[in-house]
Amino acid sequence: MKRLYFFIGLCLLIISPGISSAKEEVVVYISEDRVFSEPILRDFEKDTGIKIKPVYDTEETKSTGAMNRLIAEKNNPQADVYWANEPIRAIVLKQRGISIAYISPSSEGIPTIFKDSQGYWTGFSARARVFIVSDEKNAPDSIMDYIDKQWKNRAVMANPLFGTTTSWIASLFVVWGDEKARDFMEKMKTNGVKISTSNGESTTLVVNKEFAFSLVDSDDAVNAIRAGKQVKQIYPDQDKNGLGCLILPNAVVLIKGGPNQKNGRKLIDYLLSPETERKLAFADCAQIPLHKGVDTPADVKKIEDIKTINVNYEMVAKKLQEIQQFLKKWTKY
Amino acid sequence: MSKKLTILITIFLFIVIGLVPVIAMFVKSLFVGGHFSLESYSLLFKSRQQWHLLFNSLFLAGSTTFITVLLGVPLGILFGKTDLPGKKIFIILFVIPLVIPSYILAIAWFYCLGRSGIVSGLFGREIAVVTLNFLFGFSGTLFVLVSICLPVVIIFTITYLRMINPKLEEAAKLSGQWFFVLRKISIPIIAPGIFLSALIVFILALGEFGVPSSLRFDVFPVESFIQFSAFYDFNAATASAMPLGLIILFILVAERLFLRKKTTQMTIAKESILKISLGKAKPFLFIAVCVFTCITVVVPLAILVKKSFVLWAYKEAFIGSIDSIIRSLLYASAGATLIVVFGFFLGYLLEHRTFRFSYAADSIAIFLFALPGTIIGIGLITLWNTRATNFIYASAVIILFGYIAKYTALSTRFMAVTFSQVSRSMEEAAQILEVGWIKRVWGILVPLVRKGLISTWLVVFIFCLRDLDITMIVYPPAHDTLAVRIFTLMANSPEEIIAALCVIMALITLLPLFILGLVTIKRW
Repeated sequence: MKRLYFFIGLCLLIISPGISSAKEEVVVYISEDRVFSEPILRDFEKDTGIKIKPVYDTEETKSTGAMNRLIAEKNNPQADVYWANEPIRAIVLKQRGISIAYISPSSEGIPTIFKDSQGYWTGFSARARVFIVSDEKNAPDSIMDYIDKQWKNRAVMANPLFGTTTSWIASLFVVWGDEKARDFMEKMKTNGVKISTSNGESTTLVVNKEFAFSLVDSDDAVNAIRAGKQVKQIYPDQDKNGLGCLILPNAVVLIKGGPNQKNGRKLIDYLLSPETERKLAFADCAQIPLHKGVDTPADVKKIEDIKTINVNYEMVAKKLQEIQQFLKKWTKY
Repeated sequence: MSKKLTILITIFLFIVIGLVPVIAMFVKSLFVGGHFSLESYSLLFKSRQQWHLLFNSLFLAGSTTFITVLLGVPLGILFGKTDLPGKKIFIILFVIPLVIPSYILAIAWFYCLGRSGIVSGLFGREIAVVTLNFLFGFSGTLFVLVSICLPVVIIFTITYLRMINPKLEEAAKLSGQWFFVLRKISIPIIAPGIFLSALIVFILALGEFGVPSSLRFDVFPVESFIQFSAFYDFNAATASAMPLGLIILFILVAERLFLRKKTTQMTIAKESILKISLGKAKPFLFIAVCVFTCITVVVPLAILVKKSFVLWAYKEAFIGSIDSIIRSLLYASAGATLIVVFGFFLGYLLEHRTFRFSYAADSIAIFLFALPGTIIGIGLITLWNTRATNFIYASAVIILFGYIAKYTALSTRFMAVTFSQVSRSMEEAAQILEVGWIKRVWGILVPLVRKGLISTWLVVFIFCLRDLDITMIVYPPAHDTLAVRIFTLMANSPEEIIAALCVIMALITLLPLFILGLVTIKRW
């Protein structure tokens, strides 16, 4: 009989999360790297007593697995909050009617360019698209250097079909228009720009002096420098008439019909707070706070000191879907 | 409850848990926007990429099978039939890559041959270009898969060698040396076993996800996972699984026609087997096996241990992962227990042929075992992701369903072999005395096959513990296992922590193997 009780107990233990709903908990799907997001979520648990139930993404799906799971669960939502590692995914969820608006009090002070005007997503702690360059005197300082003959066969960038590189290309299409952007892409091809599998690989290729420079995420560059590698980080196009550099904030989204909406809002408030931004700036991801005046380490620039590309992320998301076929063809050169 | 009813209920539950999700997935893929459409399938045949994937998958599985048989049969003969010293240690070492999650080996080799790896550190960065070219792509994936699948052929060879009647070999020895006896008698007799092992290796390599995805070699299981998870193209994910499904059906038919009777009718010989004395060749063969074991097993494991050899890494890895470790053990235990129950009745059905369709249930189990876990995972989401079935979808039950679908074939076959070694007379005597079915199960069958049940439980437990493909796709919030945790932490985590987690994973997987060794060592 004891064995039977044990077996029934085990069964209840296993299925209990599926039938519980009244606990102090919040379900969050996360595309940000686990190694950086997990400590923040643990702090939230400690500070509020609300249990976090996370689903993390993997690099293998180019960090889109969690978003796609949210789409699959549209009619049976399991998550309360989605922590995206860039705003494009948050915008896709808005377009598909999976998120609902929430304007958090913590979002005050975050520049309007980095948040949805209706509150469907709010950006925080950003990465910048920066150059990592091998320790050379004559370093590139503009994305136009990708098509400069001086750097022929010496530049590398991550596969534009995935991740932040896609967003960067799409933003160029938005800012420059299709014709100029396509011309730029073709010239990159002619100039022998090498395509790597990821920003991480691009960083390694530059660290190993196999290539002179690459556009990568700022966290990749900062980590390489912190690891003592002989490389430099350069924010491109920072002169007065320059294009500026693309900023890609994390974005947080409240999911429509999630089981713990109230706690979901509390988590969003927590993630958008200056304190969370400070923690993410000092962590290895070295992310740039979007609130002004937040402490940062010496190697992380403050947002007010960066000339950024003035781009509408909704338009970038739309353009990104439009240029998929072009990018597929382009990457096979 | 009667015997037939119990077995029918088992078959019904297995079909609902395992087969219905796959059928539901297939049916769903035939509809686009609510209308019947074969668009995904027509695109499949038109796409050059799909043919490329099909070629890659078959070439990888075929090459892995060819090389493992080429290496595994001689090694099996060395370990099973000769006086080579340290045989048991070699066998245990060779089995390790099979029982730990496959991608762990890929990670270890990356630490060795990668751009910032050990080889690059020793011989300069120029060599890294060569080692990276070897590691990433076909050659590296093949190398790692061979080291994972090799023990399957070794163990089958050893097992089937024990089934040869020694009198046949004695008679053949009158006409020639051992090489002649092996070539003319022993190997032809164990050929069905070798073919069966080759078939299993082919299936394992065909459905493998972890190694090709880590080493960036495009095959169908990786494509299905990416189509579903990265692009949420459900129909494309399903369509890309269909060629694999057809190949697996073809394999099943071949196995049914050519191998099943030959492989299940053999029994262990009562007489002790004839041993081959290696004579002067013994030290050379011993050194050769040592070197080979070092390259395929010891080096990658040593790299992981070396990489993780800092206390803080273990402390951090263990503290952060304790929940995942507990969940891994809990789910693998629950999964193994349920799968052994299914295997007990389905194995009994297979051995006693209680119904005409006994082989059909086994074929379904083998079919599901051969399907990539990612496909089963997508099928489970398709079927159970509804409000009415949320108690399944949002709990660990969905993971257990995945385990049952994928691994029941193992328990069914193991239990069928166990039942074949047990005399039916005791059960028949009890039946004549009108002892009920349930009492016969608990009072006679279970005690008779107790050792087989324990061994089967341990084997299935290990497979559930190392599972990544299914769990990665279906795990509900806060239900990640250690295998999933490692996979999701790999991006940007310190290498020391990843290596420490891999070592912890290997240790908790090897612990039951050690127990299995204790259970079976006396039989050997």
